[in-house]
Amino acid sequence: MGAVGLQTHIWANNTRSILLLAGFPVLMVCIIYGVQLILMGFGFLPGTGRGLGDDMALAATWLGGTIPTALVIAAIWFAMSYFGSQTMIDLMTGARKVERKSEPELYNLLENLAISRGLRTPTLRIVDSDSLNAYATGLHEGQYSVTVTRGLVNTLSRDELEAVLAHELTHVINKDVRTMVIASIFAGIISVIAELVFRGLMYSSGGSRRDDNRNALPLVLIGLAFAVIGYALAIVIRMMLSRTREYVADAGAVELTKNPDAMISALRKIEGRSSLKGPDELQQMFLDNQPDGRGLEGLFASHPPIQERIDALVKFGGGRDPGPWNGEAYAPEPSPWDTSVPAAG
Amino acid sequence: MLTTLIVIAVIVAVVLFVIVGAYNRLVALDQRADQSFADIDVQLKQRQDLIPNLVETVKGYATHERATLDAVTQARAAAAGATSVNDKVQAENMLTASLGRLFAVAEAYPDLKANTNYLELQRELSDIENKLAAARRFFNNAVGEFNAVRRQFPTVLFAGMVGFGADKPFFDVGEGDRAAMTAAAPKVSFTA
Repeated sequence: MGAVGLQTHIWANNTRSILLLAGFPVLMVCIIYGVQLILMGFGFLPGTGRGLGDDMALAATWLGGTIPTALVIAAIWFAMSYFGSQTMIDLMTGARKVERKSEPELYNLLENLAISRGLRTPTLRIVDSDSLNAYATGLHEGQYSVTVTRGLVNTLSRDELEAVLAHELTHVINKDVRTMVIASIFAGIISVIAELVFRGLMYSSGGSRRDDNRNALPLVLIGLAFAVIGYALAIVIRMMLSRTREYVADAGAVELTKNPDAMISALRKIEGRSSLKGPDELQQMFLDNQPDGRGLEGLFASHPPIQERIDALVKFGGGRDPGPWNGEAYAPEPSPWDTSVPAAG
Repeated sequence: MLTTLIVIAVIVAVVLFVIVGAYNRLVALDQRADQSFADIDVQLKQRQDLIPNLVETVKGYATHERATLDAVTQARAAAAGATSVNDKVQAENMLTASLGRLFAVAEAYPDLKANTNYLELQRELSDIENKLAAARRFFNNAVGEFNAVRRQFPTVLFAGMVGFGADKPFFDVGEGDRAAMTAAAPKVSFTA
């Protein structure tokens, strides 16, 4: 069913995310199968000695053993990032924790949003950088943290800052950090396997084989096709997943603040000013992260273009787009009563 | 025979699945709209609580504006007494209009305009008015979404049977506001 409003937009993107996430195990099966075919083709694994179809069927029966092994590796990998990621991220970005006393306004904004959803207030951190960006980290309760840059705090108005904090808080509420860690682990395992295959092919091209397989060439070619397609799709799916989570977080920010305009003008302000360094897993959680190059970036970008995010907010959230930001203040809201009443304050 | 039964069972299961899914979506959207109306209510209540203060403050300076002040007090009482959504919308629009008149009248009293208490009240009311506008917009968005999903096929076929037979009412802006908007609409001309 198509989206007609904010909630249906969120539902549609959540369904999409689940389908995308379900794609990873499928891809993993594809790529492992591909590797088995290649190994069989080169004679490292025994074939049936009969036709191509029989060899491929034999390789399929091995999946019962290889897939559980791959899942165990994924679980160990996940456990490692689960316990180590926060420390790594803190070390890499130089974010420092701030308390209520040093940033009372910012802290209160975050705390009010957290209270309205019955959440424990996440740790608030600030990166001393002039670029305009923010991110959420943390894989479990008590570890959740929202980080903003100094430039963001200085440039955005109160409402816009609230919208950005709500966007990050939505990532926390939806456990997007965990989703993206899982996605990056799957993508990581798949790319490690793919890399091993490509390197192995290069080195073994002149090497000796234990026993020749009659279907060597077709087996290797089919296996290679599985591996290449699986590898490319893994990256594309990971990025598509990241993009759907951004749409949901934008919509969630409007749910929390009831103010689509603030989210839109915040996006307008960070547009083209969001460049911030960080590891891949972290960049996915950024408020905005645009690839440097142009071209295929649509497929491999972790974030949708700002314009498309704004269009979604206008279409589903009923927001108004003030147009690109030129560095000056946007026109203030007209007085709620009469034009004769001067702006208070 | 058995295959026919299985096919029928599968079809029934799919239809049930679709109906249950659509019903749950309607319930969630309905609940969401009600909840966002509660957010409007919070702002309305806060505004009503500030008004007696404002009236007292203005009374001290603008003694000749009894009619305007009474209109505000009456509108507030009506707003506080309203229960149904339609009554609330009407009463609150009256209150907004009478407040607008009060602030316009206050322009003629420099002492009042310099009063810190008055300025603070005006600032707070203006803040509430902005929040109210945002909450109202969100509510209308939620209502629009509920209505649209309710009328979608195949939901529309059974929505009436499960208690979602009618569209939800929007929180309309008042006639006065609408007239002002029409008057202020930008004029576009393509002739030189």
